[in-house]
Amino acid sequence: MDRRTILKSGVAAGGLGLFAAGYADTARKVVDGVVDTLAPKAGAANIHGASLKPEYTVDPVTGAVTPDPGQQVSYVMCMGCTTYCGVRVRVDRDTGTVLRIAGNPYHPLSSDPPLAPDASIRDSFAAVSRAGERGLAGRSTTCGRGSAMLGWMTSPYRITQPLKRVGRRGGGEWQPISFEQMVREIADGGDLFGEGHVDGLRALRSFDPIDPKAPELGPKVNQVGLLSSTNEGRENFARRFVQKAFGSLNFIGHGGYCGGSYRSGSGAAMGNVKTLPHAKPDFANCEFVIFCGTAPANAGNPFKRQAALLAKGRTEGKLNYVVVDPVIGHSDSLASRHRGRWIPIRPATDGAFAMALARWIIDNARYDRTFLEQPNPKAAAAAGEAGWCNATHLVIAEPGHPRDGFILRGSDLGLAIEGDTYGDKDPYVVVEPGSGRLVLHGDLAGPATLFVDGRFAVGDTEIRLRSSFDLYAESARRHTLDEYADVCGIPAETLAGLAEEFTSHGKKAAVNTHGGTMAGNGFYNAFALVTLNTLIGNINVKGGTMAPGGAFPAEGKGPRYDLDGFPGQVTPKGTPLSRNVPYERSSEFKRKKEAGKPYPAEAPWYPAAPQLGSEWLTSALNGYPYPMKALFVWNANPIYGIPGLKGAVSEALKDPKRLPLIVSIDPFINETGAFADYILPDSLLFETWGFAAPWHAVPSRTSTARWPVVRSKNAATADGEPITMEAFFIALAKAIGLPGFGPNAMTDAAGAPLALDRPTDWFFRAAANVAFAGQKPVADATDEDIDLTGFGPHVEALKATLKPEEWRKAAHVFTRGGRYQPYGQAYDGDRMAQKFAPALTLYNEQVATARNAVTGKRHSGVPQWTPPAFSDGTPMRQVYGEADWPLLLISQKSVLMGAYTIGLDRLRGLHPENPVALHADDAARLGIRNGDRVRIATPGGEVVGTALVRHGVMRGVVAVEHGFGHTEFGARGHRIGGTRQPDGEALAAGINLNDVGLSDPTRKDLSVWLDPVAGSAVRQGLPARLARA
Amino acid sequence: MSESRRNFLRAFGAMTVGAAVAAPAAAAPAAAALPSSAAPAAAGTTAPSPRWAMVVDVGKCIGCQSCTMSCIYENAVPEDSFRTIVSTYEVQEGGRTAMVMLPRLCNHCADAPCIPVCPVGATYQQADGIVVVDADRCVGCAYCVQACPYDARFINHHTGKADKCTFCAHRVEAGLMPACVETCVGGARIFGDLADPDSTVSKLVAKGDSKVLKPELGTRPHVFYLGLDDRLTGKVEGEPTLWRPRATESHA
Repeated sequence: MDRRTILKSGVAAGGLGLFAAGYADTARKVVDGVVDTLAPKAGAANIHGASLKPEYTVDPVTGAVTPDPGQQVSYVMCMGCTTYCGVRVRVDRDTGTVLRIAGNPYHPLSSDPPLAPDASIRDSFAAVSRAGERGLAGRSTTCGRGSAMLGWMTSPYRITQPLKRVGRRGGGEWQPISFEQMVREIADGGDLFGEGHVDGLRALRSFDPIDPKAPELGPKVNQVGLLSSTNEGRENFARRFVQKAFGSLNFIGHGGYCGGSYRSGSGAAMGNVKTLPHAKPDFANCEFVIFCGTAPANAGNPFKRQAALLAKGRTEGKLNYVVVDPVIGHSDSLASRHRGRWIPIRPATDGAFAMALARWIIDNARYDRTFLEQPNPKAAAAAGEAGWCNATHLVIAEPGHPRDGFILRGSDLGLAIEGDTYGDKDPYVVVEPGSGRLVLHGDLAGPATLFVDGRFAVGDTEIRLRSSFDLYAESARRHTLDEYADVCGIPAETLAGLAEEFTSHGKKAAVNTHGGTMAGNGFYNAFALVTLNTLIGNINVKGGTMAPGGAFPAEGKGPRYDLDGFPGQVTPKGTPLSRNVPYERSSEFKRKKEAGKPYPAEAPWYPAAPQLGSEWLTSALNGYPYPMKALFVWNANPIYGIPGLKGAVSEALKDPKRLPLIVSIDPFINETGAFADYILPDSLLFETWGFAAPWHAVPSRTSTARWPVVRSKNAATADGEPITMEAFFIALAKAIGLPGFGPNAMTDAAGAPLALDRPTDWFFRAAANVAFAGQKPVADATDEDIDLTGFGPHVEALKATLKPEEWRKAAHVFTRGGRYQPYGQAYDGDRMAQKFAPALTLYNEQVATARNAVTGKRHSGVPQWTPPAFSDGTPMRQVYGEADWPLLLISQKSVLMGAYTIGLDRLRGLHPENPVALHADDAARLGIRNGDRVRIATPGGEVVGTALVRHGVMRGVVAVEHGFGHTEFGARGHRIGGTRQPDGEALAAGINLNDVGLSDPTRKDLSVWLDPVAGSAVRQGLPARLARA
Repeated sequence: MSESRRNFLRAFGAMTVGAAVAAPAAAAPAAAALPSSAAPAAAGTTAPSPRWAMVVDVGKCIGCQSCTMSCIYENAVPEDSFRTIVSTYEVQEGGRTAMVMLPRLCNHCADAPCIPVCPVGATYQQADGIVVVDADRCVGCAYCVQACPYDARFINHHTGKADKCTFCAHRVEAGLMPACVETCVGGARIFGDLADPDSTVSKLVAKGDSKVLKPELGTRPHVFYLGLDDRLTGKVEGEPTLWRPRATESHA
């Protein structure tokens, strides 16, 4: 035990609690106790205290289930993070109180293996019981946070009535109003706050151009937008209102400030930077995984499934892994140290790490040559590969050539091609081995030449052509292993060792990353990491990387109902608010080009990115590309979640002239909702409907259903419907006469018209679509299934909405909490059954040919190591040098706390704040001791937190756990209708790293620091200094 | 910081894992687990009497605290108290850092030090090995809280009575798993009947490499840990800075 010190970490202890009842009274109590003991007693000893009555009993021998008539066990969905696991919720039938949450045994996000989908509800109860010890292998779980989520249902900070602001925006004073008044005012507008006229949605629904001189911006409807979070099961309903009915292009989720750099980098490596495909390790069968920028047993999506498979793999299975991260986390365990290891890395240097491995693998020819050489899917299949890539495809590398940087196509060779020139069917070109001739990529039945760098006759001229792989290899060889080691802080021999290990398992190895890449170079870090998977050709291989298993479509043009299109549907057009399209197509560009100086644009554009929530509020308030007139914020919180945004826009947001109408749709008043003009109380957790799907890492098709297991506490509409987002948009659509809602809003499969008057019109039909998807519908739910799960109160409405042959199948989906493909169908021999078919792209043409709108320069089309930079390419350290800002701040995901779960008292009781972690050597140098109050300063501001001195953090790094430092959600009491909420001091505990996020110093407008390519928010590697407070 | 939490933390620091031995004596069947003289027969159990026990496979614990939270809700555990918790630590060994996750709960000892100190006979061991507190007899004197070497007991500040893990006896009697077991994300907690040689816990304990906490006290705990001693007492000098899993496997 020498040389071992034990530090308390992770879970810090809570407030003062009572320990003993006090010894002064002991003697008296003993006497009382003895007297009590001697008194005659009936029945069993009182040993169970206030423990819950079991929800049912199971005979341990026969497995016979005897339900408790006082409780229902309902299979629904957790909303404690964006994983949306299937859960089982115990409800007291008399009081409607949610008693406890555990896992849904049918659901693969909560059980491994899950229960057979056709098992009865009664059997599902026995499956998690002691009978035959079924509940050990068959256990179905919630994580710590998920188990605590029921605290939401009784939160004193929940709002249940529509609110309208009183006084200034952000002032914290509200007037409760009726649902009908809220709908009327938002539809009609008027002088709503005594501050002058505000346009309502009726006036804003105009298809006239925003700016006739810039028609590319699109119609005025684009000046209304909705900022959402993730698809928690109702997103398509909200999209129906905003995009298809109202007609705005602007609907966005939280990706740009969640894991956007990863998604974009992965999209670049997997061929599409708009749809952003991504793969996950097949955790159950992988032999070696490098986690870099993600920590599978600490957080991530799906946290619980990844963690469970990691735990299983490192104990019973063949899994070895490393977690490359500036901070150690729960993915590391001393108990399995020979199977998993933490490797500290400097923040924002993942690209150097990945390119070092790439260099070693290329220099030592350890890449999967057979995989890389196949120029098309047929050749790949013939070679026994499960996927293919563009390593052999040729790129025009001739400066000055009009097609420089593009991938060479058949039409460049003057060949007649099918479809559009340079379109999807215009073939790529490769070099035929042996002959050295240029041939079309589809014409070879076997390999093409991997390394190509030469001059070839193309048309009338001879130009330089290089293969994708040659360009990638050149990028990897731009630095030596020692140089990469200096950058990332990992010794060169470790880099080489990891490269060797990674290439020692055939295709049963993987690299996985995620939000740890959210740095000022995050796009290329992620692109570089994900491309390592391409080098070993592990896509679609059992034990390699996998595509998501997919879902049973609920809300499209389904087998029973069309929940997609409708008469009068609008196809949104124009320029998205986040400018994620080429600047070169704008009127601004043309105007500036004519004036002789096309660059810089007014602000960055992100042509190689999806729509970006990270650039929304700044764009809206800057009025670039156009001002916004009305903004809906639905269960989203960009002010809390985007680094630097609060400092950048708080004042502007308070000015109704810059953004005239802000409507929050949320059960709580969060940091963004605090700036709203109106708040619509959305339904909460176990009161809601929805259909979601696993984000990833479940190989079998899975749909998760959510239905109200308890009555909503929200106020009702005049029709008696509990207030929800859905009820609000239905009423608003009817008020302004939008298509797609009300009578004749949808059709069944035969084309018969149907109304959309209440939320269940949508969700019941969605359930029918799920139930009937695929080759064979699900079985009927039995009366017992319905009774045991407590679905009974919905049955009459279900029967009234669906057809006689549908309702029991829909009920089957609801009572099981979803629909599940049998788990065993996930694999097809040594392949994944669900395959990713497009080419993996070592060279991404979309990225390579997009230009930075500030500099006019092109981006690298291959992965590279590049330091963190601002939008004009200026390296961060050039502006904020190490002399002034010696430390780097990083955001660390919490095992327990989420961005919106601070109000869960029991969770907070276990983990009340987030001390900031720094290395013992840094602490010693700065004179900081464990528990000291410390001032963290960045160019974006200052916060004061508590120091936690550790060894499990990279030197030079300060790590801040996400989820704390709230100023709303109850941390500040609001005055509602004359009643002031209490200030929830405990809810304000800790600090929020995003409060000291940076603006982009190279921009003149309101800005936050975003990755120059992906436009993702930068929270990793913020320059900082630290001192005792 | 609550006292009960602090004690949990302190207890780990004082844990003498170095003295842990294989095949602990506590792996005796139910016959050794005699109920205390004051104990009434357990209600609801059927003959032949089981001997309930838990095995914690530490390598599977990911420290998510699902057990902690589920126990709180299942058993109405008051604020700032815990019937079970996962102590998480960062340990430093010769320049290397690692995480330790240690699930902790009442050990349902065969020779439970908490039982004889009770002045009113409120705490006793059932025939099935579960150590319980009869709240009707308990006077809240906290002698048992002091006597427990594992800091597994506390005075419930709602009831004024001694409180602790019961292996969710109310669920076990109903044929269910304890709350912490049914929701253990990593599958680290394994519960069953040690008197049944075919049970999972019996098979795991029979392998002989499980450990108990503070074995030198002779309390004969019935919570067994897998993977604990090797990691906390193993020799770690000469650990190579470069890690290669296959190379290290034989090394470890």
